[in-house]
Amino acid sequence: MSVPVIQARNLNMTFFTRKGSLGALEDFSLEAQRGEVVCIVGASGCGKSTFLNIVAGFLEPTSGQVLLEGDEIQGVEPRCGMIFQDYSLFPWMTVLENIAFGPRLKGASRKERHQKAQRYIEMVGLEGFEQAYPGELSGGMQQRVALCRALANEPDVLLCDEPFAALDAMTRQIMQQELLHVVSESQKTVLFITHSIDEALILSDRLVVMSARPGRVKAIYNNDLPQPRTLDVQITDHFMKLKREVWDLVQEEVMGSMTALQRVK
Amino acid sequence: MDEKQLNLWQTVIMGALGLLVFVGGWELLVRCDFIDPYFLPAPSSVLNRMLTMASGPEAILLEDIKMSASRVLTGFLTSTLIGVPFGLIMGMNSHIRAALNPIISIIRPLPALSWIPLSMLWLGIDEQQKYAIVFMGSFTSVLVYTTDATMRVDQALILAARNLGASHLQTIRYVVLPGALPNILSGLKVVLAIAWTCVISAEMVGANSGLGFRIWTAKEWSDTGQVLVGMLSISLTVLLLDILFRGLERLLLPWQREGRRT
Repeated sequence: MSVPVIQARNLNMTFFTRKGSLGALEDFSLEAQRGEVVCIVGASGCGKSTFLNIVAGFLEPTSGQVLLEGDEIQGVEPRCGMIFQDYSLFPWMTVLENIAFGPRLKGASRKERHQKAQRYIEMVGLEGFEQAYPGELSGGMQQRVALCRALANEPDVLLCDEPFAALDAMTRQIMQQELLHVVSESQKTVLFITHSIDEALILSDRLVVMSARPGRVKAIYNNDLPQPRTLDVQITDHFMKLKREVWDLVQEEVMGSMTALQRVK
Repeated sequence: MDEKQLNLWQTVIMGALGLLVFVGGWELLVRCDFIDPYFLPAPSSVLNRMLTMASGPEAILLEDIKMSASRVLTGFLTSTLIGVPFGLIMGMNSHIRAALNPIISIIRPLPALSWIPLSMLWLGIDEQQKYAIVFMGSFTSVLVYTTDATMRVDQALILAARNLGASHLQTIRYVVLPGALPNILSGLKVVLAIAWTCVISAEMVGANSGLGFRIWTAKEWSDTGQVLVGMLSISLTVLLLDILFRGLERLLLPWQREGRRT
C-alpha cells in the first residue's frame, strides 16, 4: 500500500487546568489510507474530539505528530475539512454563500464558485434553498449544507465530529448513505467520530475502539461487512456479533472509568 | 406568564387610548383652571406654539432641530468610526484589552456634562466643542459595546472559517465583523440616545442655536410653552432616528429579520 494519507504517531495530549493536569490522549497512533473510512468509537470524554481537533490543527499535541501525506500538520490545515456536530454554518450567509465560502477564500470568481456550490446543492437535493439562511433550515438540511461546504473546499480528508448525533434516526440514516455515496465517488479519506456503534459499523472500513481517558487505541477492527450496509446487512448474525464485541469493549471502558470515579469520591 | 399577547392592532389601539387619556386629562385640567397655564400650558397651545415656531419665514424650530441633529450625528459618527475598529481589536486581542481597560474604566463613568468646562477652555463654544462633548460622552460606550460584541462571536464559527482556509484578515472580514454586527448595532442604538443627552446638555451651557439652547432661553423668559415645544421636539427627533436606525438594522441584518428564524 502507498503512503497513508493520515499518520498519527504516538500522540500525547495533556490539558493543564487549575485543578491539575488532564490526560486526553496517550500514545495514540492511527493510520488511514486514501479512500478509507475510519470510525472511532469510545465513551464520552475519551479524547475522540481531541484527536480530531489535533488532525484539523486546532490543537497542538503535547508530544507526537500527525502527518498528512508525509508532511507534519502545523497550524490549521484546510486540507482536512471538518464537519462539526452543531453544523457551525455562518448564519449571515445564505446556503449558496456558505457552500461557496471555501472557493471564495481562494479567490474563485463569483460565477465559478456559485456554479461549484450549485453542483453540491444538487448533489444533496437542496435545490430551491440556495437563498435560504441556515436559521430557516431543519437540522438535517443544515448538516447537508455543512457537508457541501466542506466538500466544495476540496479537502483530502474529511473530519467528522459526531456530525449526525443531533439528527433524528430517519434523517441520520439518509445522511449516512449520502456521506458514503460522496466518499466512494470522491475517494476521500474520512475520520469519523461517533458514540453510536451501529453508525460506526454501517460507515466504516476500519473501526477503532478507544479506551477511556486518557484515550489509547484499545482495538482495531477491519470491518468486512458487505457493502452497502442496508437493513438486511444490519440484521445478519455477523453484524450482531461485531456489535456485541465492540459494545463489550466500550462497556468495559465505561465501567472501568466509572469505578475509578467512585473510588475517587 | 400566561397573559395573552395582543396583536398589532390591539397594541396600537391601547397605546392610542393611553395617550388620549393622558393628553386629554392634561388639557382638561388646564381648561378647568386646576392648573395655571403659566406653569403648564395645555397640550393644544403647546401644539399651536410648535406649529408657529416650525412655520413662517424663520422656522426657528426646524433650524434648531437641524443644528442639534447635525451635532449629534457628527459626534456620534466620529465615535463610531474610531470606536468600532478599536473595539474589534480589543475584542480580539486580550493583551490590548488588558492594557486599555483601566483607562476606559476611568473615562467611562464621567458624565458628558463634566467635560464641558475643559472643552470650553480648549475649544470655546463653537461647533467643535459640541462635537467634542458628544464624542467624549459616547466614545467609551461604543468601545465597550463593540469589544463585548466581538468577544461574543461564536468561536466555533471562527474555527470553521480557519478550517476552510481563511487567513486572519479574512476571518475578521467574513466572520468576526458580521458575527459581531447585531450586538454592535444594538449597542450603537443605545449610544445614539446617550449622544442626544450630551448635545442637549452642551447646548444649554454654551450655544446660540439648537434645541438645548432654545429650551434654556425659554426658561430665562419663563416661557413654559417654548420649553415644552423644545422637549417634545427632542422626543420626536429621537423617535424618528430610532425608526431610521431600525431600518438600517433590517438592511444590514437580512438574516435576522422577523419570521426568518424558525
